[in-house]
Amino acid sequence: MGLQMFVNALLLGGLYALMGIGFSLQWGISGIINLSYGAMVLLGSYLSLIIFNMFHIDPFISMLFTGALLFLLGAFIYRFALQPLLKGGIVFTLIVTFAIRLIVENIILLVWSADYRTIRVSYAGSNFQFLGAFFPLTKFLTFLVAGVIIYLTYQFMTNTKIGKGIQAVALDKEGAMAVGVDDQKMYLINFALGTALGGVTGTLWATIYSFSPHVMDVIIGRVFIIAILGGLGNIWGAAAGGILLAFVETSGAIFVGSHWQEAIGLVIMVLVLLLRPHGLIGKKFFG
Amino acid sequence: MVTQDDNKFNKNIILIIAAVIIFIFLPNFISGYYIRIFTAIFMYATISQCINLMSGYMGYLPFGHVMFFGIGAYMSAILMKLGLPVFIAIPMACLSAIIVSIILGFPVLRLRGHYFAIATIGMNGAIMTVVQNATEITGGARGTTFPIIMASPDVVYRYFYLAMLSLMVITSLVMHVVVNSKFGYGIRSIKANEDAANSMGINTTFTKVTTWAIAALFTSIAGGIYGYWMSFIAPDEVFDLMFITNSIIMMLIGGAGTILGPIFGAFIVETVSEVAWSGFMQYHLAALGIATIVIVFFVPRGVIGTITDKIRNRRIELSKKAEVTNG
Amino acid sequence: MADNDIILDVRSISKHFGALKAVDKVSFQARKGEIVGLIGPNGAGKTTITNLVTGELRKTEGEVYFKGINVSRMQPFQIARIGLTRTYQVVKPLQGMTVEENILVGSLFGRSDRQNDLNHAKKTAHEIMELVGLDKKKEFKVSDVTLPDLKRMEFARVLAMDPEVIFLDEVMAGLNPSEVEESMELVKNIRTEKQLTIVYIEHIMKAVMGISDRIIVLHHGQKICEGSPTEVCDNPAVIEAYLGKKYAKEVIKS
Repeated sequence: MGLQMFVNALLLGGLYALMGIGFSLQWGISGIINLSYGAMVLLGSYLSLIIFNMFHIDPFISMLFTGALLFLLGAFIYRFALQPLLKGGIVFTLIVTFAIRLIVENIILLVWSADYRTIRVSYAGSNFQFLGAFFPLTKFLTFLVAGVIIYLTYQFMTNTKIGKGIQAVALDKEGAMAVGVDDQKMYLINFALGTALGGVTGTLWATIYSFSPHVMDVIIGRVFIIAILGGLGNIWGAAAGGILLAFVETSGAIFVGSHWQEAIGLVIMVLVLLLRPHGLIGKKFFG
Repeated sequence: MVTQDDNKFNKNIILIIAAVIIFIFLPNFISGYYIRIFTAIFMYATISQCINLMSGYMGYLPFGHVMFFGIGAYMSAILMKLGLPVFIAIPMACLSAIIVSIILGFPVLRLRGHYFAIATIGMNGAIMTVVQNATEITGGARGTTFPIIMASPDVVYRYFYLAMLSLMVITSLVMHVVVNSKFGYGIRSIKANEDAANSMGINTTFTKVTTWAIAALFTSIAGGIYGYWMSFIAPDEVFDLMFITNSIIMMLIGGAGTILGPIFGAFIVETVSEVAWSGFMQYHLAALGIATIVIVFFVPRGVIGTITDKIRNRRIELSKKAEVTNG
Repeated sequence: MADNDIILDVRSISKHFGALKAVDKVSFQARKGEIVGLIGPNGAGKTTITNLVTGELRKTEGEVYFKGINVSRMQPFQIARIGLTRTYQVVKPLQGMTVEENILVGSLFGRSDRQNDLNHAKKTAHEIMELVGLDKKKEFKVSDVTLPDLKRMEFARVLAMDPEVIFLDEVMAGLNPSEVEESMELVKNIRTEKQLTIVYIEHIMKAVMGISDRIIVLHHGQKICEGSPTEVCDNPAVIEAYLGKKYAKEVIKS
């Protein structure tokens, strides 16, 4: 693998890592396979597109806003659409999140149509060279920002009271409830946080790639693989899973052809499920 | 008591036979457009019936089950291109789907809950990619065609209408027999509590794999007929997870864990989405999404499930009353 | 007693969870028609032994013979089919089914060398429901019945499987004294009627003492004593480990 390819895979991996963490937290800790996750990521992209077009605010700044907005949306969805259905089991939460995806998809189609959109910031074309490899500036920035956000998420989960509460319900729900942790509140915050991470990913994504409603399915396919590779609900696991998937895809495209790259990821996912159900480096959180 | 139950049973059978006869002759009175819609309803009811056997009765949600639909469609197409008649091609396609379900079933049915659902999605995606890339055999991503039937479209549509109708009726009858048999109690015990089922003498692995094979059997036949009906198929169409999400919604609306549920669900959902398409096409997806959420919230047991619950509760109330008056 | 009377022969089974020896080289035997009490403080390994014998946990070492057949490597359903079964300490009803269906599943499956078509199984289920006094609740969903009834249902379900040896894992926990009395009568009657061998795991001392022909005492995963109820009560090691002096005195007085 050439140096340039390594750099490309690494830069893509940073974005995959951030994208996978939100989904993995929602699934692993709140226990919800969020089929609307791709829609939430795209909402992040489209929201930053509006802000960019109307107020000319850079996506790297507007991501604070899109993140906050999607946090609220995630909290709303959890509280009113998911929490009442938890007892019904996996069929209900899957179908409801799929229904939310349909609604969001419809809204996007109505407002922006199915065309591909892009956000072209003024420094979009610039790049720099380091150790003989090209670093496109926007890709490098997204990688950096993704790294910072992942680190902050980890700090939040381990060093704040709420974060510790979330970890506690994830590890031992009954025990956490017995010492006075409000489990549903923790699940809600965790789910909202996952949605916000998805939205921020969408905003960052928009600075590099063009996007359309079709991207939703691509995203969902990727985050499943990343979450399973890393072990559900595990932040560093998902980060590693994201980078690993980026490397698999990049090298797969070169060695066996880009037609097969999707199948390679899926086959690896199924093998991990069967052989190491807690992820390649993950520890067991639930079920 | 016995005669009363027998009477009710006979009445139900007569109603069902009457309904089937009406549907057999219905194409004489409706236009081609409606014949097509009904054919789609019968097809969806069949797939939904299979999802229902797996999820509603056994508690394993096979999200990637559409792989058997795709295998059925593609194997039929390939075999018919080789010159085999449809009555041999579809059963052979079906056989290959059953073999795949058994080979995949042993490892993947060890996974429970979320993990099983996701693993089947992964397998479906992998099989689809293989079909997309095996261009010499499958025609690749651009799809493949079936031999053209030399008859007027009117006759052809009726032919497929009757084929899908019989498939739905046979599937439902088989499901009815299966879930009410000894084997069916095994299936339901697995949903209720798999460990307890095992310790009660139920061979859970065998039961799960066999059940999946039954579900694959009928889904693949539906795929074969669908392909021949459309006369053209592409991988991203016949391996589309939408078939399964729609079938799950139908099962939920009709009533999971009931035999009539998926049939009613298919009728309701197809009618609603047909109206949504023709009435306000732009909002069609959102309408479907909102309708789904409303139904899941307000009729969680589905139409048939809610009715049977009511009947059972009334019977318990009556027996309580009888007890009070007796004592 | 002749050797061919031994129906269950547990030979030095162990289960280690890492460094923890949950069960350590325990051996015991049960003869046809016998009630063997299995007692010991919490964490002594009673339920683990049940799981090991019925095949739900893999043994670290040791072997189990049932009717002379080595069942050590068999799966739970295979063991159940030749007539060895158990109830659960924490009830495991088949959720979403009625009481009748729960028991019906027991009579449909369970031991395989008998007539078990649907009609015959229904008849068996109805007989057993009458026997344990559940016939009035047969149409109830398991979510609608009380804990004592659930325990009764589990017992009925096991009986419907037509077994030869049953492990009863704390079937009386959570019952009030009169229900315990009732339940003891039921177990005794059914043992004589059905020629059952019962391994009886229980916390309620009065029940174990009153019902068992022989008692095995476990402590920290090891068998510390075996004998008739009175022998066990007189054993100083048992008194130390488990019974507590107060209860021992009571027993001696009576």
